[in-house]
Parts: sequence; structure tokens; C-alpha cells
Amino acid sequence: MEVRGLVKRYGAVEALRGIDLTVQPGERFALLGPNGAGKTTLFSILATLRAPTAGTARVMGRDVTMERDAVRREMGIVFQEPAIEQRLSGRDNLLLMGLFYGLKTSAARRRAAEILGQLGLAEAADRPAKTLSGGQRRKLELARALVSDPRILFLDEATLGLDVDARRGFWAQVRTLAAAGRTVFFTTHYMEEAEVADRIALIDAGRIVALDTPRALKARLGGGVIHLQTDDDAQARVWLRSRGLAPEPGGTEVMLVQADPAAVLPELLRALPVKVHRVVVNEPSLEDVFLKLTGRGLEGDAPPPAGGRTGAGERGAA
Amino acid sequence: MIRGIYAVVVLDLKRFWLERARLVAGLAQPLLYLFVLGAGLGASSRLGGGDYQRYIFPGVLALSLLFTATFAAITIVFDRQIGFFKAVLVAPVPRSAIALGKIAAGALQAFAQGLIVLPFAPLAGVRFGVAEAAELIGAMLLAAVTFSAIGVAFASRFTSTTVFPIVSNAVLLPMFFLSGALYPLAVAPPWMQAAAHFDPVAYAVDLMRGSLLGKFFFPVPLSLAVLAVVITLLAWAAVRVFNRGEDDSSLGATRFNWRR
Repeated sequence: MEVRGLVKRYGAVEALRGIDLTVQPGERFALLGPNGAGKTTLFSILATLRAPTAGTARVMGRDVTMERDAVRREMGIVFQEPAIEQRLSGRDNLLLMGLFYGLKTSAARRRAAEILGQLGLAEAADRPAKTLSGGQRRKLELARALVSDPRILFLDEATLGLDVDARRGFWAQVRTLAAAGRTVFFTTHYMEEAEVADRIALIDAGRIVALDTPRALKARLGGGVIHLQTDDDAQARVWLRSRGLAPEPGGTEVMLVQADPAAVLPELLRALPVKVHRVVVNEPSLEDVFLKLTGRGLEGDAPPPAGGRTGAGERGAA
Repeated sequence: MIRGIYAVVVLDLKRFWLERARLVAGLAQPLLYLFVLGAGLGASSRLGGGDYQRYIFPGVLALSLLFTATFAAITIVFDRQIGFFKAVLVAPVPRSAIALGKIAAGALQAFAQGLIVLPFAPLAGVRFGVAEAAELIGAMLLAAVTFSAIGVAFASRFTSTTVFPIVSNAVLLPMFFLSGALYPLAVAPPWMQAAAHFDPVAYAVDLMRGSLLGKFFFPVPLSLAVLAVVITLLAWAAVRVFNRGEDDSSLGATRFNWRR
């Protein structure tokens, strides 16, 4: 998949301001960014649902605006919102999708049975989709996207709202599909899901701000991250700066990136003039990387409140 | 293209089958017109009660076809709000196939409803042989396609489920009343006769009535030609609206409007 200079304007609003990226066949590629960063727009253009204002995008060598049907035949999409007919059974949904992809009825029926078996949905296949559990329904969405045996799979926030078990089950399936050589292009809000990607593009305000492997992205921060919860975060930051350290501005806790956190921490805790309630030291997360690059977290809506940070602390509310 | 149309038809008929109780509920309106309105008006008409019911039977059949077809078309408005069609939009199916499939599916549903009204013909004093039945069924099919095309051409322009029924009543009922379904056009005031010439429902009613009673108001070739032209024009209009989504930003937007 190749994207070159992609721009999308809605009236005066520039949702995408020149996106370039290349996804290799068989790659698992994640797109991360806060709401309003342009993820959905980019996703819709690649999915042939919107036309770009400028620039080109090719999927499997086919142009998404000029060769729509060819692109559509190559890809399967799991949308954020449900895209199955809830009143019909899973089997009927897949059968119908097969017909829409030009299969004969008998072939569509065989294909439906095959995928249902593959995804472990055979038993639930004949009940109306609305009676299935959330996890089963999402698997059914995945099954629907697989009817055409696509070479590239698009997943847009495919596991949003699922519990941890269901998410794991879903991703186990995706891993199997990727192992079979399919390209997987996805967006997600869950950091642990993004970690499984071969490469990640961080997108903010319509631009790609970083594009690398998860490990390389985290290595950009170097060392580790110290998170402090104190009586007075503002005062703590002032003090840290006076010592020549560089805490990240804003946020619900004090965040400090250090080459060797374990060596700095004891002295820091002894000398800090404010009371420390809690200390967490970890490897830098993708969230930290994003915060460092853009000055705000992944969960919030752009733009951030002055001096504040919408981020990890508010994850539950986002 | 053909496969796309077929897929839309299968989808809609599967959904229709889930609500097959509607076929029975759909009997209420035509039977009310036939046996209550028909008996009451018939008693005071020059034709007399029995003859009047016999006369309006094809008109009531048209009513049933018209309302079932347009109700089927409303699903387009719902489709825009449910997800399944988003998946259809990213399948390699021409938008025109979706429009034509919707017309075909609506026509089949209307025709099925019409077939269920048909057994009540003897109760309304209508007798017909095999030849008449064949002619009537042909006329019903043509009428069903026409009415479905009318419904789809309208529904394709609306994204709100609340507006569409209001508009369709403002258009459908006048078309029905002007069509001569409930009275002979031949004795209607001149302005009504003139208006009926612009009402596709009038030609459909006339074909059905003629095939049963043997007397036509319009020449048969004219009726056939008018209905064919109406179907073609409306299908073309619907295809155009559906196609518009292909290259503007409204296509497949999160709320899935073909038209913004």
C-alpha cells in the first residue's frame, strides 16, 4: 500500500495535510493518534469511501479513486460500528456478503461455512446476530470482512468496547490471518494492541509525526520514564527544572524521561521538597512517545487545554 | 451488475421474510376499502353495491401494490442508518445495482402482497378465467415495478425516516385518488380526466381493470408505453442519486448518506 501527499479538506478544515506512507505486503501496520487527528479520514480514503482532495493512495498497486472496484476486491474491512444485519443469522450475513462479492449461491454458502468454522463461530452461526455476545459479534464482523478472502485487512478500532478476554481472542485470530501472509492495517486505542504491529505511524493534526517499529519509537525516548504523584506537581516541576532536569509539562502526574532512572531516583526522592505519594518507573510506552512528540496524550481531543494534559490519567473517561 | 442486483434482492427478501406477519397486516387496508368503503359507497352509487365492489377491486389491488412497494422503499432510508450497507458499499458492487436491486425487491414484495389480496376477488363479485388471470398478473407485475420505482426514486432522496412517510402520503394519496381506482374516469369531471393522464397509477389501474372487466379507459399500448417510460425515467433518476455518492465526500460517511 502506497500513500503519497494525501490531502483532504472539508471546506476550510484540513483533515489531512500531506500523508506519505508505505505498507509492505504481509506487514501489520498500526495507525495511532488522538480523536480528530485524521485517522478516520485516512481510513475512509484507503477504504474507497471518500475521495482525497489531493495526492494518491494505492492499495495492492491499485488507485483507490480510479480503480475502486479492483481495490474493493482486494480488501476486507472491519468498521468501528457494527456492519452486520442484526436480525439475520451470522450464516445469512456471510452468505449475503458472498453474493455481494459476486460468488454463486452455492459457493457463497460453502465460503460462509468455511469461515465460520475457521473462526470458531459454527455453533452460533444460525442464531440472529443480535443474540450473540459482544465478542462473537466482533468475530462475525471479522468473518464478514474475510468472505472475499482479501489480501489486505483494514481494522478500524475493531475491538472498541470489548473486554480483555474478547479482545485477546479477536487478536489471536488476526495474528493467525497475518501469519498467513495478509497485510493488516489497523487503528486502535489500546496500546497493547498497537505493540503487536510491525510498524506504527503516529498521526497528529493531519500529519504523520513519527513512523517506526514500536521498539524504535520507544527507543527515541531512551532509558525509562519516571512517573511521580506528588502533593504539588507544579512545584515539583519547578524544582526539577531548577536542578537541570526536564519534566514533561502538564499532565495529571509528573513525568520525567531519564537515561538511567534507577540511578537518579533515590537522590531525587530524598531531595524533592514536596511529598511523593507514588512512584512508577517503566519502559517508555507508546503513550509516552506520543506525549513527548506532540505535547499531549493519545486519548484527548485536539487541542489540549493550556498547560493541561489529557492523557493516560483520563483513559477511562475518553 | 446482475449479481449485485440479485444480492440486494436476496437481502431484502430475507429481511421481508422475517416480517412476514406484515403480509397479513397489509390485508387490512385493501379489505377495508373493498368491503367497508366499497359497500357503503356502492350502495349510493349508480352502479349498485355488488357491481361497485367488482369495479373497484382492481383499484384496491393497486392500492395494496402501491403502499407495499413504497413501504419497501422506506428501507433505503433505514439502510443508511444501519451498518450492513456500509459493508455493501465497500464491496465491488456498482451503486446502480443497489438502486435497481431495491426496485426489484420492492416490486416482488408488492406483488406478493397483491397475490394475497387476489383470493378475495370472488367475495367482491369478481369472476375470471385463466386468460384474464394471466393478463391480470402481467398487469400487476408491471404495476408493482412502476410503484416500486416511484418509491425508490423518492426514498433515495431522503435521509430521514420521519420525513419520508409524510412526503409519500402527500404524493401517494393524491396519485391514488386521481387514478380512477375508486370511480370510473369516464364520468369524472374533465379536469380530473386531464389530471389522470399525468398519473402513472391511473394507467396501472386501467390495465388491471381492463384485464378483468374487458373495458379500458386508455388504449392498452399507450398504458404500456407510459408505464415503461415512467419505470425507465425513475430508475435512471434513482441510479443517478445512488451514483452521486461514488466520488464526493458524502459517500459512506459515518452516517452513510448517499446525498448530503
